[in-house]
Amino acid sequence: MSARQSEAPNGRPAGDAFPAGSSRRLTAHLVGIADGNAVALVDSNNGTVLVSAPRSAILREPRLGGLPSTVVFPFGWRFQSHDHGGIDALLGPAGTDRLHRWEAYRPRLILVVGLALVAAFAVWRWGLGALVVVAVAVTPDALPSAIDDGQIAVVDRTLADPSALSAAEKERVRRVFDRLKTVAPAPRFGEYALLFRSMPKVGPNAFAMPGGTVVVTDQLVRAFPDLDAIAGVLGHEVAHVTEAHGLKQVYRSLGTYLLVSMIAGDVGPVLDDLLLEGGLLLSLSYSREHEREADRIGMTLAAKAGYDPAALALFFEKLSGGGKSEGPSWLSTHPASRDRIEEIRRLADEIARSAR
Amino acid sequence: MEENSSTRTAQVRFSGTAGEYFGIWIVNFLLSIVTFGIYSAWAKVRNRKYFLGNTTIDGRPFEYHARGLQILFGRAIVVGALVILSVSSSISPILNGVLFVLLAAALPWLINRGLRFNAAMTSWSNVRFRFEGSYWRAFAVFLLYPFLAIFSLYLAFPFVARASSRYTIGRHSLGGHRFAFESGIGPFYRAFLWAAAWVIAVLAVSAWLALTAGLVDGVGRAIRLGYDADGVIGVTIMVVYVAGAAAFLPLTTIYRAFVRNAVYAGIALEGGHRFESTISPPRLIWIAISNAAVIVVSFGMLLPWARVRVARYLCENTWVKPAGSLDEFIGEAESRQSAIGDAFMDIEGVDVGAAV
Repeated sequence: MSARQSEAPNGRPAGDAFPAGSSRRLTAHLVGIADGNAVALVDSNNGTVLVSAPRSAILREPRLGGLPSTVVFPFGWRFQSHDHGGIDALLGPAGTDRLHRWEAYRPRLILVVGLALVAAFAVWRWGLGALVVVAVAVTPDALPSAIDDGQIAVVDRTLADPSALSAAEKERVRRVFDRLKTVAPAPRFGEYALLFRSMPKVGPNAFAMPGGTVVVTDQLVRAFPDLDAIAGVLGHEVAHVTEAHGLKQVYRSLGTYLLVSMIAGDVGPVLDDLLLEGGLLLSLSYSREHEREADRIGMTLAAKAGYDPAALALFFEKLSGGGKSEGPSWLSTHPASRDRIEEIRRLADEIARSAR
Repeated sequence: MEENSSTRTAQVRFSGTAGEYFGIWIVNFLLSIVTFGIYSAWAKVRNRKYFLGNTTIDGRPFEYHARGLQILFGRAIVVGALVILSVSSSISPILNGVLFVLLAAALPWLINRGLRFNAAMTSWSNVRFRFEGSYWRAFAVFLLYPFLAIFSLYLAFPFVARASSRYTIGRHSLGGHRFAFESGIGPFYRAFLWAAAWVIAVLAVSAWLALTAGLVDGVGRAIRLGYDADGVIGVTIMVVYVAGAAAFLPLTTIYRAFVRNAVYAGIALEGGHRFESTISPPRLIWIAISNAAVIVVSFGMLLPWARVRVARYLCENTWVKPAGSLDEFIGEAESRQSAIGDAFMDIEGVDVGAAV
C-alpha cells in the first residue's frame, strides 16, 4: 500500500518501482533531470538512480478510475504513484485524459446515461435496419442464387416429391406467374423462376427464396381452381423476392446476435440472455411485418396484372378453416389469419378506389 | 521493507468502487453501441484493467496489458468465421457440416490460445503469467470427457470438472513458478449434489404449481379441442420457460460456490505458496441471485454495483499463504500473442471456469 501513502513534498512523485521482469518492489520517486528533458527513477531508500530516460522514451499509461498513474521506462521498469499532478508536471498528461474525465463519477454522468439509452434505442430500432440494408447492398449476386440451390436441394430431400400436375395445369399457373413478372420490378438478385412440387405435409402453400425462386405446391394448385386466388398467393411471394425479405431476416438475426455478443461483456450474463431472447421476439415481429408488407405489395401486383386482389383472402380463409390452434401471435412468424383477412379486404377496397 | 511483510498470509484486496466503475462502464457502453460494437474491444481492455488493477496482493497490483486493436483484430476474424458458418448453413448443409466439424476440431486449439493470451496479458507485480497448453489434453478435457459423461447420465461430471481444473490451473505459471492443482473428488461431488438438488427441487415445485393451477388440464383440453380457447398454451409456454430458467440458470453459480473453497485449497504455486478461499457458499449464491434480480429490475444500470460487490466479496475471502519472499518471481521472455482464441471465447461465451 506504499503507493498510496506517499505524497512528494517537492515535485518528486513517490510510489512503487518494479524492475523489468521481476516481482521485486522498491520504494522510489521520480526526478526531472537534464533541465526537465529527462526523468530519472530513484530508489528512495538509498538515493541510487534505478533508470533514467529522455521524456520522449517514457510511456505513460492511460489513467483509469482511482488507480495509480503508471509510468513505463524503456526496457520494462514500471513506476506507480497516486501523485498524478506530480507526474503530469514531469511528463505531461496521459493521452486519454479526456475519456478519464468523462468517466468521473459526478452529475455530468447523467448526460452520458441519457445518451447511452437513446443510442441503445436508436441502434435497436433503426441502426440494425440500416446495417441490414447495407449488407443487402454489398451481397454478391451469386450468394442468393446459391442459397436457392441449397434450399431446393434440402426441400427435395426432405419434404417434396416431383409434381404430379398435368402440363396444362402447370401452364395455367405459369401464365399467371409470367403476367406478375411483367408488372413486378426485376428481382434484386437472380431471376424469377417458378417450380412445382408435391408437398402433402405442407399442404396448399407457396414459398419464395432469396434468389427469385418461387415454389408452388400441387396441393395449392388443386385447392384453388380460381386463378385470382393463385395470383394473390404468387403476388405475395414475388413481393418477398422484390423486397429481399429472406436475406434481410438472415442478416438481421446474425447482426443482433453479433452485436449482443460484442457488448455481452458490458451487460453481463443475465441481460445478455434477455437481450438475445428479446432479439428473437423482435425478429419474429419483423417477420410478421414482412408478411404484411408482402400482402400489401403482392395485392397491388395482382391488381396490376389484372386479377382480383381480394381473392388472397380466400387463401387465408381456407388456411384458417381447418380450425388449427394458432397460439399467441407474439410467438408466431406470421400474423393471425383472421387479422390478415380483414386487412386484405380493407386493402382491396383501397386498391379498387384508387383504380377508379 | 519487504523482508517480513512478504511472508505473512496476505488477503487479496479489491479497492474498486461502484460509483467509479459505473462511470467507466457507462462510457464503455455508449461508445460500444454507437460504433456498432467496434469499441467493445477497447471497452474490454478498460474493464479488465480496472478490475485487475484494483486487485492487489501484498499491496502489489495485477495489471492487464492487452491493447484494444489486438482484441479488435481477433474479434474481426472470429466474426468473419461465424458469418461464413452461418451463411454456409443456408447454402449447403453438407458444407455447413464440414465447417462445423472443422470448428470442433479447432476448439481445443482456440481455448488454449485464449487461455494463453489472457495469461500473457495479465501480470502481477510486473511479472506476466504464462499458460502452456496441449492440444490433446485440451481435447480430452473440454470435448472427450464431457461427451463421455453424457453416457453416465452426467454422474461422472465431477471427474470432468476436476480434470478441467487440473488442466487449466496446472498449466499456468508465474515467473517460472508453475501452478499445480491436486484435490480429492469429494468436494466436487458435494457441489454437484447441491446443484442437482436445486434443479430437482425447482422442477418439482413448478410441476406441482402447474398441476394445482390447472395448467395441465387446460393444455389437455386445448389439444382435444384443437383450439386454444383460453390462451392456456401461451401461459404454459411462459411457465415452462420461467421454471427452466429458474432451475438451470443458477446451476453454474451454485456449483462454483460450493466448489470454490476446495479448489483454492488444492492450488499450489511452486515454491510452497498456498492459497485459501473462505467464502460461504450460501452467501455467494445469495449475492449472485440478488445481483441478477437487481440488474434486471434496474435495466442493467446497477450492473457496475453488482460486479464490484462480487469482486469485493471474492477478494476479501481469498488469501495467499506465501512460503517465502514474493520477490523471487522472474519474468520470462514475452512472445507475440494473437487474440483469436480470446475473441472466440468472448463472442461464444466460452467459460472454462477455473478462476485463479
